[in-house]
Amino acid sequence: MIPCTDFVPAYSALFSYLEDKGGREAVEGFWNYLSDNFLTHLAELVKEHGIRGCWLYWSRTLNEEAADFTMELDEDVGEFRLIMHVCPSKARLLEQKHIAPYPGYCRHCDALYRRVLEPLGYQYAIDMSKCDEAACELVVRGPVAGIR
Amino acid sequence: MTKQTMRCRASDNDYMHKDFHGALSAGIEYLDRHYGAEAVREYLRGFAVSFYAPLITDITKRGLVALKEHFEAIYAREGGRIRTVLTEDELIVEVEACPAVMHMRNHGYAVAELFSETERTVNAALCQGTPFEAELIEYDPLTGRSIQRFYRRAS
Repeated sequence: MIPCTDFVPAYSALFSYLEDKGGREAVEGFWNYLSDNFLTHLAELVKEHGIRGCWLYWSRTLNEEAADFTMELDEDVGEFRLIMHVCPSKARLLEQKHIAPYPGYCRHCDALYRRVLEPLGYQYAIDMSKCDEAACELVVRGPVAGIR
Repeated sequence: MTKQTMRCRASDNDYMHKDFHGALSAGIEYLDRHYGAEAVREYLRGFAVSFYAPLITDITKRGLVALKEHFEAIYAREGGRIRTVLTEDELIVEVEACPAVMHMRNHGYAVAELFSETERTVNAALCQGTPFEAELIEYDPLTGRSIQRFYRRAS
């Protein structure tokens, strides 16, 4: 068994393997597949709860991942903000000195979540300028409560 | 309340996100569909040999006890029950039910047809360059129940 605690390096290795096989297109093809087939829970929560669905989704996943983060939800203005002070996935990759992480590892977050949220009418923005420090900031804006 | 803030630190929680098993399974399924079964094995072999290099070195130095300790640790951490029988030249690992498979089954995630390669191929990779070989004697795809054997390679 590959334990779930070793998943992130396995995931990174999969991205590298796919890029070797078919270039960046192959990696992005997989991200699209994963978004469509694996992130259905995020889509369901947002459809049911609006912008609060983001809060509900990341409340569980980020706590299980032991992330260092601040989340803000303002339903009056329809905004969800996630400030990742230390991303547990990227931090783990940076800690592993004996493996080479996939260089574009952080791009998968942008690809996966954008593909779910934008078709539902939400604006999605992510600042990945501090990815090398395992930090990023994500903002989702959408219809205010009751209008969706 | 329409405004909320949550501040969490890494030390507030234990790192245990079992949904990752489902994502790995999705990756294996994708590889199988687009590149074939051998690509799944090649990917898992490459990952295991690279990521578990320190464990492989430990197996070479200390023998099968290093593998026994590895399996006991990873299954215990995810609540899986195993029984191990270790001799100088052989290690048998009996897994009652694989925590990864059970989590996916219980939460409605698809289990890739080749998910057993996370045992067969990864175990073989852990033996690469060591005096040992691996064999997956039994595997139940419904629960991940398995019997895994590691033994000294005939010289």
